[in-house]
Amino acid sequence: MSDSKYITLISYDGFEFVVLREAALVSETIGAMLRGPFREAQTGRCEFGEIRGPVLEKVVEYFHYHYANRNQTDVPDMDIPVDICLELLMAADFLGLDSKPQMRDIS
Amino acid sequence: MSRQTRTVGCRIMGPQSALTDFLASHNISANQIRLDAEARRRAAAQDNQEGQADAAQQQLLNENGDFDTPSPGSDEDEPVVASTGRVTRGRSAAQVTSEVERRKKEKEKHAIDKIKASKKFQKRKRDPDASDDDDDDIVRALFNERAKPLPGQMENCAICNTRFTVTPYSRNAPDGGLVCSPCGKELAKDDPAPKKKTKRASGGPVGARRQTQSRILDGTYHVGGKSLMSLCIQTLAKNIDLAEDLGDLPPKIVDKIARKLSKHRLLNPTTLSLFLKPSNQEVLVYDGAKLSADDFYRIFHSVPELKKLKVRNAIHFKDEVVEYLVDRHIVLEDLYLHGCNLISEGKWIEYLQKKGQPLRSLRVYWTDKHFTDAVLAVIPTSCPNLTRLKVCHNQAVTGEGLNHIAKIATLRHLSLDLREAIHPDVYVKLLTAIGPQLETLCLTRVPELDNTVLDALHMHCRNLKKLRITDSELMTDAGFARLFTSTWSNPGLVFLDLQKCRQLESTKPRENPDGIGLCDEGFKALMAHSGKTLQNLNVHGCRHISSNAFEEVFTADKTYENMHKMEISFCEEVTDFVVGCIFRSCPNLRELNVFGCMKVKDVRVPKGKILVGVPNARGMVIEGED
Repeated sequence: MSDSKYITLISYDGFEFVVLREAALVSETIGAMLRGPFREAQTGRCEFGEIRGPVLEKVVEYFHYHYANRNQTDVPDMDIPVDICLELLMAADFLGLDSKPQMRDIS
Repeated sequence: MSRQTRTVGCRIMGPQSALTDFLASHNISANQIRLDAEARRRAAAQDNQEGQADAAQQQLLNENGDFDTPSPGSDEDEPVVASTGRVTRGRSAAQVTSEVERRKKEKEKHAIDKIKASKKFQKRKRDPDASDDDDDDIVRALFNERAKPLPGQMENCAICNTRFTVTPYSRNAPDGGLVCSPCGKELAKDDPAPKKKTKRASGGPVGARRQTQSRILDGTYHVGGKSLMSLCIQTLAKNIDLAEDLGDLPPKIVDKIARKLSKHRLLNPTTLSLFLKPSNQEVLVYDGAKLSADDFYRIFHSVPELKKLKVRNAIHFKDEVVEYLVDRHIVLEDLYLHGCNLISEGKWIEYLQKKGQPLRSLRVYWTDKHFTDAVLAVIPTSCPNLTRLKVCHNQAVTGEGLNHIAKIATLRHLSLDLREAIHPDVYVKLLTAIGPQLETLCLTRVPELDNTVLDALHMHCRNLKKLRITDSELMTDAGFARLFTSTWSNPGLVFLDLQKCRQLESTKPRENPDGIGLCDEGFKALMAHSGKTLQNLNVHGCRHISSNAFEEVFTADKTYENMHKMEISFCEEVTDFVVGCIFRSCPNLRELNVFGCMKVKDVRVPKGKILVGVPNARGMVIEGED
């Protein structure tokens, strides 16, 4: 099960999303869950006790959006629904979906 | 109107166009072409008039029910359009109408055959979406496109056959021809709602290409989509008026939102409230232009534990606000003010004397006259914990102020950008006093500094990580080489900016007999000393560094792992080869600026690297693809 191409993400209200493992690895948090000596790594099922179904759905959509566009330039922006924007922002922070940190000037 | 009657070639002509000459050399007369075209137009106009008469006749016939009478054949040689007018005369109205119909059909068939053979049709046919059934539709569409009369002409309605004037809004009938406006309205009712054009998602009012270029120059460009966080912040900033509270977002994200809002100039008294949580320790306002003094009071009384305050464009941060700040129990450790010209000298002194004790960092940008030597004089005694001092774009501080700075023994980071010319000796004295513990030294726009300052750096500085000396007109290559010799006990620098340290001599710009500015030896010495640790190097405008020096520094066996960004604009000797060597030697380089390096022509840029400023027509930026 753990080497399956797909993993399952579960929201706190019980929605399950089956996602391509490679796409989900955009998230550092999920990467760490699947790598470490955790139950998630063995079962390939990640539960998120703080993320609602609709929000997780959008996150999964983002995974695939990101995966499909990973080698492309000039990618159109994904649509973010305004009503779950803040929740999504929290989820993005939790999942480590930040842009790669640029080296900053020391000063 | 026949050709024989015309007198071609017997006219006095003015100057001719090149095309006319060319045509004349091939025995084609441009005038003839023009006259022919005029003739055709005239004939068409005549036909129109006749056509109106036809219409009247037709109506008459319709009433008589005598419409379908077959007609005898007619002379095929005459062009249809031009002839109708003449031929009609002397024949019965019925004959005329059916003949016109027949000719119209014939002409149409001819035209359709022609279209079928044309390139345009073949091209459309190759379109994968089009099946064979569509062929006729395509031909029909092309034919209608061609045959459509121009606006302003008269035409018979394809449905009710009445005569009407064609306008740009005239609709096509389902089976060819145009319809009059009442019939058009009927047609419009039957039409399903027009398909909405699918809008392209990216780009928007600014073109996608332009946006990409702008993102590259902003340094926010990367391959692939934006991160989910940026997308959310973008959406949030667009709809910030809907947000009542940012909730428990981590400070890092709140800061990002603040930056985004300020970038769009959306920070105003209402949106400011989102960032004022009582438990916060820092408030960062990147654009305070819309805030009034009352809003600043609000910051102080709603965030009682404030430690770090940053306000850019702090126009209304004035004496009253400082007074309020002094009276409150707020202990600021970090104060960053930009453009606060309404604070008087007296208030600065009062603030520093009363609240200077905990202050660790003081940064003051863009002040005209009130942040003075007298203010700096207070710092050594009243700010015992100050480690960072920045005074930028300041018009009041002179050498006396620098002498006061020299007394701040705790200082680690010092940035000065002063408008007053100050003698190098003052800087030497400053470095002698506080040089040993300095980690950052930025001296921006100092044309009067000379080698004595470089020697003082060499002598006294042990901990420098970031060094900036710009616009010096007196420092020499030998001076830089002396600074970066191996005997300098300072470890390698991380950030070095020596832009525009070069000779300024307009009469003999190429010659540099005294070796003024950063040239070969200095460049080699600095890369030998700091190359391994440097992340950011700026030698913009040091135009006497030769290509040999670059090639020697960036040979195949040398790598500079840490180098992240390099700016070598206006170094005239930089060639394609040098740029290639730089990419080879700096595996982690992300961005290289080569504005004004005219010898850079056609470089292959490795994937993921950005080369900015190549002087070619393709644009200014090349993002590596291989």
